Amino acid sequence: MSKLEFDVPAKGGFSFDLCKRNEMLMKKGVQPPSYRKTGTTIVGLIFQDGVILGADTRATEGPIVCDKNCEKIHYMAPNIYCCGAGTAADTEAVTDMVSSQLQLHRHHTGRESRVITALTLLKSHLFNYQGYVQAALVLGGVDVTGPHLHTIYPHGSTDTLPFATMGSGSLAAMAVFESKYHEGLTRDEGIKLVTEAICSGIFNDLGSGSNVDVCVITKGHKEYLRNHLLPNPRSYVSAKGFSFSKKTEVLLTKVTPLKEKVEIIQSGEAMEE
Amino acid sequence: MEETKTIAHEIGGIQNDALRFGLYGVKSDLIDSHPLQSSLASTKKTQEEMKRKVLANTYGSAFPLKTDLDRQILSRFQRPPGAIPSSMLGLEVLTGSLERFGPEDYLNDPRDSETFRPADMHHGMEVRLGLSKGPVCPMFI
Repeated sequence: MSKLEFDVPAKGGFSFDLCKRNEMLMKKGVQPPSYRKTGTTIVGLIFQDGVILGADTRATEGPIVCDKNCEKIHYMAPNIYCCGAGTAADTEAVTDMVSSQLQLHRHHTGRESRVITALTLLKSHLFNYQGYVQAALVLGGVDVTGPHLHTIYPHGSTDTLPFATMGSGSLAAMAVFESKYHEGLTRDEGIKLVTEAICSGIFNDLGSGSNVDVCVITKGHKEYLRNHLLPNPRSYVSAKGFSFSKKTEVLLTKVTPLKEKVEIIQSGEAMEE
Repeated sequence: MEETKTIAHEIGGIQNDALRFGLYGVKSDLIDSHPLQSSLASTKKTQEEMKRKVLANTYGSAFPLKTDLDRQILSRFQRPPGAIPSSMLGLEVLTGSLERFGPEDYLNDPRDSETFRPADMHHGMEVRLGLSKGPVCPMFI
């Protein structure tokens, strides 16, 4: 078949230019730079009126916690939210891209987006990239056909479940769900169960920590409870003040408060331009 | 005429830069730098063929032939190479890429790359007339 398109201007996208050079460097022993993962606990469950999603807020870079309060519940559509585990950049890029695609689709069809649309878009994108885009997602939302909850694995396989957990803390959270989940949960029971599952992940898994984020989606209404629970508060200054050991003689105590009050004095003339 | 101190990066399709693309040879001709690159290219090709077959089965074999002809015509309507790039709106509507949003739309915009080279009008016209080899807008220095 002859060339169909005649010298169309270049587009962006993935560039494979430096792959051979990187291969050669790795063979010589150069370590590739580490990237930020979200080693995480993310959960979702279906209750009687809709879907509740939950996530912890720690992002790790190897053994270091690089973000103590990151957001793992991403917006996809007004009625669909997605939690992401895996490489932080991958989850954010993929969810942003599919969110844009859903918005284009909404403009085109004039209807509310459905959760299976988001599912199909995410799934085909991840499969196309053969697992190199390391994003494990829990997708939940309520559309005209009812509440839906799906999990998507990095290679592109999906599951439809009444309750789901993903990430390094998934086993701890799943243990809580398996013992306490039942159909027909009320909103408060659902939030309590999700919080318990995330806390179980926070306290038992190294890759998860800090606070709990919860998102409740019902028909026509959504509530994003950012930092719903803070089980690991940071206390920056000791309330008792600094106590010296017994052998030290205190010569002088001077306390300087950190915040100073700024007083606005009414100046005489306004600036003229 | 100034003597060019740099060697052209891509002459007539052959990728010249050893540090970027590896040494040139039979193997590099056949195999792409990463298995994912060949996988993406073949997926794109297979999906296009499948779409074409479906259209041929539904509307008859003349319809995809007509679409191909339209695509060739629309891709040839471009501005002369220079400062303003052509938007290819007709081609985008025909291929459906106007309604699609993918990684090529937000990643790696060629205008933002470090080795962006503003389009040389004279070189572009020479390529169009068949007097020079190489892509109309060479990417690297």
